[in-house]
Amino acid sequence: MTALVHAELLKLRSIAAGGWLLVATIVVVVLEALGFTLGATDGSGPGQAGDPHLLSQAVASASAGEIVLLVMGILAVTQELRFGTATSTFLVTPKRGHVVAAKMMAVALVGALFTLISVAIALPLSVWLVDVRAGSVLWERRVGEVLAGVVLVMVLYGPLGVAIGSLVRNQIAAVAGALTWLFLGEGALAGFLPKVEEWTPGGATASALQVGTWAGTDHVLPPWAGAALILAWAVLFAVLGARVTLRRDLV
Amino acid sequence: MDTDIVFDSVTKRFGPTLAVDGLTATVLAGRVTAFLGPNGAGKTTTLRMLLGLVRPTSGQALVGGRRYVELDHPVRRVGAMLEATGFHPGRRAVDHLRVVSVAAGLDRGAPARVLEQVGLGEDGHRKVGQYSLGMRQRLGLATALLGDPPVLVLDEPANGLDPHGIRWLRGFLRGLAAEGRTVLVSSHLLQEIEQTADDVLLLAGGRLVRSGTLAELRGVGASASVVRSPDVTRLAEILADAGYPSTPALGDELLVPAPAQEVGRLAAEHGVVLHGLAEATQGLEDVFMGLTEVGR
Repeated sequence: MTALVHAELLKLRSIAAGGWLLVATIVVVVLEALGFTLGATDGSGPGQAGDPHLLSQAVASASAGEIVLLVMGILAVTQELRFGTATSTFLVTPKRGHVVAAKMMAVALVGALFTLISVAIALPLSVWLVDVRAGSVLWERRVGEVLAGVVLVMVLYGPLGVAIGSLVRNQIAAVAGALTWLFLGEGALAGFLPKVEEWTPGGATASALQVGTWAGTDHVLPPWAGAALILAWAVLFAVLGARVTLRRDLV
Repeated sequence: MDTDIVFDSVTKRFGPTLAVDGLTATVLAGRVTAFLGPNGAGKTTTLRMLLGLVRPTSGQALVGGRRYVELDHPVRRVGAMLEATGFHPGRRAVDHLRVVSVAAGLDRGAPARVLEQVGLGEDGHRKVGQYSLGMRQRLGLATALLGDPPVLVLDEPANGLDPHGIRWLRGFLRGLAAEGRTVLVSSHLLQEIEQTADDVLLLAGGRLVRSGTLAELRGVGASASVVRSPDVTRLAEILADAGYPSTPALGDELLVPAPAQEVGRLAAEHGVVLHGLAEATQGLEDVFMGLTEVGR
């Protein structure tokens, strides 16, 4: 399995897309950090410039690259089918489930690297911005909790993408479907059935990152359980993908 | 070490289409076996079943007595090059080979070695997107050779090669067989492999219509005849009943896999008027065309 993970990392490294995805991650992290802090309205309510807990909310911007990692995970599978490299991949490793597992581990490792870079940018940037905007910075326990959530979410979103790609196989359908669900589907579900939404991948992510808790939102799941739920979704999709769609004939 | 390839009543159905119909054949080690047939005959599907990429509807294909998916180190046992095998256009050729090499646990020198072997030593650091079709074919061959396997399965390796490349490929395949390897090479063009193959499997319409040595297949040509008759339909029926499935040729002509005296005797026996009868001076090409037409 180690050899397979190495091969998958080499696949990601040996095309230019990997570099561009890192650039995209850095850009969205910076934009998110700027947008959150500079967009805060005057006042001392939750999320406003005078809120003493502003830093714990601002550092969540380090997870902005989760979508980039999700897409990377999807592409890791669907590009193989699109360019036909799946043939040589499955000739080397005829057990297709092993390929899916190796890809999940590889993108998780890339996710860890991207997280390190994201936190290294988002944390000092947020501290500086909060200091400029609010005039003071409060280092509280929740800053660490949110950062831990960021690490878990970022590491898990790549494998979640791999799982979705294995299940859907078609690149455009997988990417468009996943993004539409996260940006529109989750929102609609949250509006109609907020308690159900807590159990979806997006809801689990919100729990893990403690989104909105500063404004009084009460998540059903504690942060660690939210992260565990993302993993559960990833494993579920991956098993379904490996057992059903990815078993199909490769013609 | 058993390195024969065995097809045992392999059948593949895609929905209503019967792509491969009960194929049974053995491919022997140390010989180049040509897997011949027109486009759409089921060659690629058969090879993909052998390599575990397509699941047979029934029957099985074995390498050295085992299914491909059961092999411990498939890349070291079987080298495969398939027609639709793709390369990421943005990846360098050497990186493509490295990926396979790392996944298969091969030595670090393997990619450079096979690039030299197929004549791409100078071009390994270029992106595959910049490669010509012929270069991509060579890269496919290089991928097949990475694990130095005793069995090689090559699907239409001559596609996209220029005459110089085809000549190179001939010598290359002969060399691989001379080293004792099992070489199964598919083609829809007979002349590509006529000077290379020892054995032939002839596939048409998903069925094996002929198998044997190339010399035996040439023998089929010697005992064929061309017959002309105003009543070809009836003559064809009579010949088919006698075990000679004929092929309609130009106008009122039939190509019959039987000696002229036999065709003449059958025609006289049934009172069919003939306008012409001759031993077919067939090349192997005609045999190929004739037999594969029959299978359609």
